[in-house]
Amino acid sequence: MSKDSNAEIPKWKQDFPIEQKEATHVSRREFAKFLTLLSGALAVGSTAIVVKSIAFPEQPLVGEHPVCKESDVPEGESFMFEIEGSKTIPYLLINLGNDEWRAFEQKCTHLSCAVKYRHDLGQIECPCHKGYFNPRTGDVIQGPPPRPLPQLEVVIRDGQVIVKAQNA
Amino acid sequence: MSDFRQSQNEAHPNKTSTLMTGIIVLQILFVTIQIWFLFGALNNALQENLNFAITAALGSITFAFASFWLLRYLPDAVKRRKK
Repeated sequence: MSKDSNAEIPKWKQDFPIEQKEATHVSRREFAKFLTLLSGALAVGSTAIVVKSIAFPEQPLVGEHPVCKESDVPEGESFMFEIEGSKTIPYLLINLGNDEWRAFEQKCTHLSCAVKYRHDLGQIECPCHKGYFNPRTGDVIQGPPPRPLPQLEVVIRDGQVIVKAQNA
Repeated sequence: MSDFRQSQNEAHPNKTSTLMTGIIVLQILFVTIQIWFLFGALNNALQENLNFAITAALGSITFAFASFWLLRYLPDAVKRRKK
């Protein structure tokens, strides 16, 4: 039998014989080792999150930041601004009317899409996955966002809109 | 003349394969749980919930050690039988 099968195998293959059984066993060993490596990498990733949180905590917003003039944002409109800190964060200033002003982080807590204020709905909308937030508290009303929008305190002083951290 | 190992191998020809499959299935399970931990830790780190991140990291490290420990039982590659 072996003589017959050898006759069918081309000469170049006879010179470099590969036993299939041996080859597949080695490949499964390699796969197991690769999974171990992946497992190690995931452990390193999880540890890196903890190290980053402890070693480089996010700096809270300090001080007061003038945004714009009160007259620049009509009732029911919103105004986008950024605050430079340890990183630049975009915020959304909303004039709800009746001297009610709110400022929220503009990044949706789901996948960081830019949210916008819809005065016709009376809600903040994330257009990516139809998440809705309460424009007064920032709480999630509907959709996939897991957390409320981070909020800043708004102060009106001499016609100037000023924001600061909520507990400052 | 056959020795004990040879007769064992002839009686249970799939033993190596079963062992290998078991190890790979366990490792896939470990990696899946670790991905779940990582996802949870990322989500919670964003909310400044450090305790969850620490617990997930410890769990992930434990699974990584378990994966390395499993390699002890990895069967040797099949060697070509001597003629």
